[in-house]
Amino acid sequence: MIMHELSIMLEVVRRVEAVAKANGSPKVKTIVLQIGEAASVIPRFIEDCYDAAIHQTTLEETKLEIEIIPAMGRCLDCRQVHHLRDSQGICPTCRSKQFEMLSGREFQIKQIAVEDHYESDQNH
Amino acid sequence: MSQIKIIEIKEGIFEQNNQTAQELRNRLKEDKTLLINLMSSPGSGKTTTLVSTIEALKNDIRIGVMEADIDSDVDARSIDQTGARVVQLHTGGMCHLDAEMTRQGIEALDPSGLDLVILENVGNLVCPAEFDTGAHKNVMILSVPEGDDKPLKYPLMFSIVDLVLVNKIDAADFFDFDLDLFRRRLAKINPEIGVIPISAKTGQGMTPWFDWLKQQVHKL
Ligand SMILES: Nc1nc2c(ncn2[C@@H]2O[C@H](COP(=O)(O)OP(=O)(O)O)[C@@H](O)[C@H]2O)c(=O)[nH]1
Ligand SMILES: [Mg+2]
Ligand SMILES: [Zn+2]
Repeated sequence: MIMHELSIMLEVVRRVEAVAKANGSPKVKTIVLQIGEAASVIPRFIEDCYDAAIHQTTLEETKLEIEIIPAMGRCLDCRQVHHLRDSQGICPTCRSKQFEMLSGREFQIKQIAVEDHYESDQNH
Repeated sequence: MSQIKIIEIKEGIFEQNNQTAQELRNRLKEDKTLLINLMSSPGSGKTTTLVSTIEALKNDIRIGVMEADIDSDVDARSIDQTGARVVQLHTGGMCHLDAEMTRQGIEALDPSGLDLVILENVGNLVCPAEFDTGAHKNVMILSVPEGDDKPLKYPLMFSIVDLVLVNKIDAADFFDFDLDLFRRRLAKINPEIGVIPISAKTGQGMTPWFDWLKQQVHKL
């Protein structure tokens, strides 16, 4: 499974490098990923393979931050919104197991933080 | 002084790949070349199925093959012996192919004049399911020794494929693979899916698979 996360992270690295390049190739300080609790990747595995994924790329000194998005469901019977991890998928109000997913499957690159050289460039 | 600036990306990890895949799919459709992505665990019988399929159909359909077997050209050689056009893709140990790698493979193969290109994906039931390769149809092979419970373990794979070939049915007596149970498990995940039991080795049951392929080529 680690291999799976690694190849996905290589994709992330490629994408972030492309975005950085399109923005004048600044130094990328941080990558922020958002991963839903019900996404098909495991945040800890993502962290484990991150160093390998950035090895010998322009992101070698870039830090990784992961924001976890809770998996929330809305009960189809009584409309109660519940956190699927705590409720185990069962509505705490009416015990129904039917729900629609509101969030939790996300797996996206939220943003990157880059060094902005605007002022120092003016001084040169 | 350098300051920190935030660049919002807000884009799904697979979005770029999905876009490349869609472009490839459209282009191949315009050129009237059907691309099939063939997936399975290692050893389920992808190469054996390909070889007997090419042998059976080579007078009806012009077929090309892209081999993505990890770090080996054994498979490409067995295909080469059938006389079909074949390229070996070097995945560098990756556990799946993405649309960009597939696109490059198509360039290397040169699909002009081909009716059908089959991609033998890396042997793996997890990762290839997540990357759209740009294929028009996704087919997987599950072999009898692997067991009828695989849809429970790999729901994503079984939900994205159009057809499952249940291979090695010549060996059915030695394993407790329950085809009816398998179909029921599958129907829960993917009601649209087709199932064709075959033996790539003996040729048993291969005709419905050949017909399915010819129909897809025709429909494109
Ligand atoms: N008994 C039996 N063996 C098969 C069949 N199809 C493939 N095999 C054998 O299974 C092994 C792996 O097959 P191969 O086509 O290389 O699988 P791949 O890794 O998915 O490409 C080989 O030894 C084949 O001879 C079949 O229908 N019946
Ligand atoms: Mg093979
Ligand atoms: Zn309820």
